[in-house]
Amino acid sequence: MAVEEIHAEMVSSVWKVLVQPGAPVAAGDTLVILESMKMEIPVLTEHAGVVQEMHVVEGEVLQEGDLIATVTNA
Amino acid sequence: MTTVQAAPVLPTPDPRDPEDRLQRFFDAGSMQQLAARDASGVLAARGTVDGSPVVAFCTDATVMGGAMGVDGCRHIVDAIDTALRERVPSVGIWHSGGARLAEGVTALHAVGEVFAAMVRASGRIPQISIVLGAAAGGAAYGPALTDLVIMGPAGRVFVTGPDVVRSVTGEVVDQEQLGGPDTHGRRSGVVHVVTDSEPAALETGRMAVDLLAAQGAFAPAENEEDVDLSALLPEQKQRAYDVKPLIANLLDGSGLEMHPRFAPNVVTTLGRLAGRTVGVVANNPIRLGGCLDSASAEKAARFVRMCDAFGVPLVVLVDVPGYLPGVGQEWDGVVRRGAKLLHAFAEAVVPRVTLVTRKSFGGAYIAMNARSLGATAVFAWPGAEVAVMGAKAAVGILHRKKLAAVPPGERETLHAQLAEEHERIAGGVNRALQIGVVDEVVEPSQTKRRLVAALAAAPPGRGAHGNIPL
Repeated sequence: MAVEEIHAEMVSSVWKVLVQPGAPVAAGDTLVILESMKMEIPVLTEHAGVVQEMHVVEGEVLQEGDLIATVTNA
Repeated sequence: MTTVQAAPVLPTPDPRDPEDRLQRFFDAGSMQQLAARDASGVLAARGTVDGSPVVAFCTDATVMGGAMGVDGCRHIVDAIDTALRERVPSVGIWHSGGARLAEGVTALHAVGEVFAAMVRASGRIPQISIVLGAAAGGAAYGPALTDLVIMGPAGRVFVTGPDVVRSVTGEVVDQEQLGGPDTHGRRSGVVHVVTDSEPAALETGRMAVDLLAAQGAFAPAENEEDVDLSALLPEQKQRAYDVKPLIANLLDGSGLEMHPRFAPNVVTTLGRLAGRTVGVVANNPIRLGGCLDSASAEKAARFVRMCDAFGVPLVVLVDVPGYLPGVGQEWDGVVRRGAKLLHAFAEAVVPRVTLVTRKSFGGAYIAMNARSLGATAVFAWPGAEVAVMGAKAAVGILHRKKLAAVPPGERETLHAQLAEEHERIAGGVNRALQIGVVDEVVEPSQTKRRLVAALAAAPPGRGAHGNIPL
């Protein structure tokens, strides 16, 4: 069982958190939507699995590399 | 004295056997060796790939781990010079520990001659490398000097191996972490395409040869149904999306994406459009909002120069909010590396058509094959914005005092009104049309046919330059 860590690619703020820990996700599902460069940027999972932990809350400002979520891949 | 018995003949050939690897690469029955097989550690041959003539060489990992000596290097130089003389692609299949230690500096000299041969051929014939095992030391720079590097799961490319790294820097790392597919496909950008098996790596090499050697001609299908490509974009203008489905729907079949995991905010794909090979350069808004940054500008620049060198027309899909701001970017040389993309486009003589799907702002507007850089044609979809920055952001700066002077309740209305005025005067696609930096607004459903028509009507060209691995 692998744990996928999802990090912020750029400085941004968390606009919406769409999943909670324990939620099953498919590859390509949106976990959160970030706001940066006046755009809404969905952050997607790469693999199917279950959301283990969400490390961000709405409104939070993220730096490049900050951990957003961990997803356990079945 | 003890007698050593000869090893029993293996029933199946060694999977590293160069003859076997070359046979699997060429069309069945087409391979002819350039020279008889010897102990040099290299086998070179000519053959065909989907009917196109190709010269290929393969290092012989069954002899001293494929280490390169004087004789092996001579075979490689001969293969490259033959390919250059005959104007056919040169393909290298790599599995080599580097220069032969026992031959000393003579081997280094020979490896250097291989590099020189590759540079002589650079930009004149396509050079493709398929790394199937270790390609260490001198053997690392062989693939690196070529146009396209493909790596199978057992591929490892590094200058110095884990043992040397550990003894010099104390870093403990294995071969895969140091120079495996993930490292070079995602972090370093040394490898263009990573595959999940050796047969897939050889097949990808064949696909690349076919795309570059048999480029075909534009032959638009007569009764092709129009597809509304804008349906692949989200309805909300500010929402980011993955540009790859747009590219997939534009091209005839699935193309060959270069560097899919390295600098993914720009997508660079070789594929066929209405039957002819083209190179697609596209911003990808789902990654970094589609911003250009130092790595993606450099990646795109190298791709543009490769396409130009081999006469491959370019399709540039633009949806870019600008260059990524930040201290990290400036220190990373975004000015120097971004300049490469300006240089690459401005220098290119192949037909190159730009389509602005949603927005094109600031310095990134210029870098994405703008009219000023010599674009063959610039199209935009209805409602596209071409500007220094978004209208709302621009009036926030231009009319800061005016906005501050009105009561907070009315501020948003005024801001929207000013933005609309500004867009009319300075930012919208109409202004861009007026001054001639956008040629035409095209309906999304007409996009494919318009792109093909514009590319097909332009005089074909081919840049007279090498393809330095930027």
